[in-house]
Amino acid sequence: MIEDLFFIEKQAYRDSFMHRLDARVKIILAFAVIIAIVAVPYSIMVYTVGAIFFLFFIILWAVSKLPLSVYGKRLLAIVPIWGIIILFQIFFKNKYYTDYHVLWSLPLGISIYAESVEFASILAVKFLISISFIILLSSTTKMQDLLQGASRLGLPAEIALALGMMIRYLFVFGYIFRKVNETLKTKCFDAFDRHLPYRYRLRQLGYTIGTMFIRSYEQGERVYTSMLCRGYGRESHLFIAKKPLRRFEWAFLTFSLLFIIAVPLTIWLTAIRFF
Amino acid sequence: MHLIETRDLCYSYPHSVRALEGINFIAPRNARIAVIGSNGAGKSTLFKHFNGIFKPTSGSILIRGEPITKANIREVRKFVGIVFQNADDQIFSPTVEQDVAFGPTNLGLDEETIHHRVHEALKIVGIEDLAERVPHHLSGGEKKRVAIAGVIAMEPEVLVLDEPTAGLDPQGVHDLIGFINSLSKQYGMTVVFSTHDVSLVAEVADYIYVMNKGKFVAEGNVEQIFMQPDMLRSMRLDVPVLPKLLRSLQKNGVPVSMAYTYEDAENALVQAYKGKS
Repeated sequence: MIEDLFFIEKQAYRDSFMHRLDARVKIILAFAVIIAIVAVPYSIMVYTVGAIFFLFFIILWAVSKLPLSVYGKRLLAIVPIWGIIILFQIFFKNKYYTDYHVLWSLPLGISIYAESVEFASILAVKFLISISFIILLSSTTKMQDLLQGASRLGLPAEIALALGMMIRYLFVFGYIFRKVNETLKTKCFDAFDRHLPYRYRLRQLGYTIGTMFIRSYEQGERVYTSMLCRGYGRESHLFIAKKPLRRFEWAFLTFSLLFIIAVPLTIWLTAIRFF
Repeated sequence: MHLIETRDLCYSYPHSVRALEGINFIAPRNARIAVIGSNGAGKSTLFKHFNGIFKPTSGSILIRGEPITKANIREVRKFVGIVFQNADDQIFSPTVEQDVAFGPTNLGLDEETIHHRVHEALKIVGIEDLAERVPHHLSGGEKKRVAIAGVIAMEPEVLVLDEPTAGLDPQGVHDLIGFINSLSKQYGMTVVFSTHDVSLVAEVADYIYVMNKGKFVAEGNVEQIFMQPDMLRSMRLDVPVLPKLLRSLQKNGVPVSMAYTYEDAENALVQAYKGKS
């Protein structure tokens, strides 16, 4: 998990047109796509909108020059969370359908309905598109730029300050965790080493986690002290300098927004279906 | 009126032994003061009193002749800037620029002034090119400079550095010596620092306080302190290498004058050599 943090950061530090775009453009783009796909009514029309948006995503991903494996790896990391939620939908009725047809009857009175399967697949398309654009955003934008972009778009100052510190100490503790791991390895400790007694391994892991907690608590105390030394108070906020968008960023944003609005609207009005 | 003055300052940690006892400390204008002492002597605890982080259990602390109160605490923290030993404790913003801007932002300055102060502070510590970088991509020395810049950007009149050489490489220590001297000479700032590195003290300090178990056991200028090697050794400290060598040469009959800095020692040795040949 900690190594994923450094992996994401490494991708965000690459150079491409997408990486160079101002964070605000990418944030608006990602949220526009999410709102557009979520706003599409629960019908099979979602498949067509989803396919076009996914094609748009693939083009942007190609422009970002990131390997597809990065996308695949990050998508798979999220599957256990959203995959299970979607999978469970096939067993339940929902408010979007009135008639239900049983596809398979399972023991204990559990049934899989055709309409629920359709609902789950629509949900999967919506999830896939939303998550893909979030992955694009986070893979092409440095965390600090993301925060600055969000602040320039109106994120409350209190939240920006807290998030800024979270980003900073996420990496500090990432490095501490790495060092602790290296120390354990230096002392030939492996939590999965079956030669060592189970209780001993558990105890050592407990000590390590406990040490991390104590260190984070102490770090928190020291940081707060140094914040006070630099005038921290109720009015404190993160310094975000003004930065106007460049012409090409405006152009890209305008084109993207028009496209994102036009796609579902056209498909809804013309009833074009690819699937 | 002194910039910082403590009178019989005592401090005890909650449920703990006394950390400071009868501390009488004076920091005049444009001075370079070293507080030396072994680990746990109470140096960091004393420094935390200078801007009101800790309150004395008894005795008093005066900043520009006035006690620290709730009403002037903000002004005191602007006046006395503290740089802590571990830079990671002091850099808490996602980028260098944002971190250095934290203090000036809290002072309620406008964006243009903040921007100016940030870049001036980064220029003073020689890391202007690191403004956009994230702290976890910096080396220990660079982080230390960022921490110092963050305090300098608040334009304090007294800069307190807690173990400034900890974790620095020789070049980093050399740069720091030049930097502390320039703060005093160019900007008229008072610099108070703690260290174990006695050779640094000879190069930088005008006045030295020796601390042990929460008390000042000696004070004086460089010569007065380093003339007492036995006292220093009993405090788990030592005399810098150069005066130690010169004293040894003197004992062995070499007519060399005493010196404490590298430059003075070089001159003394050259003079001694020329006198002999």
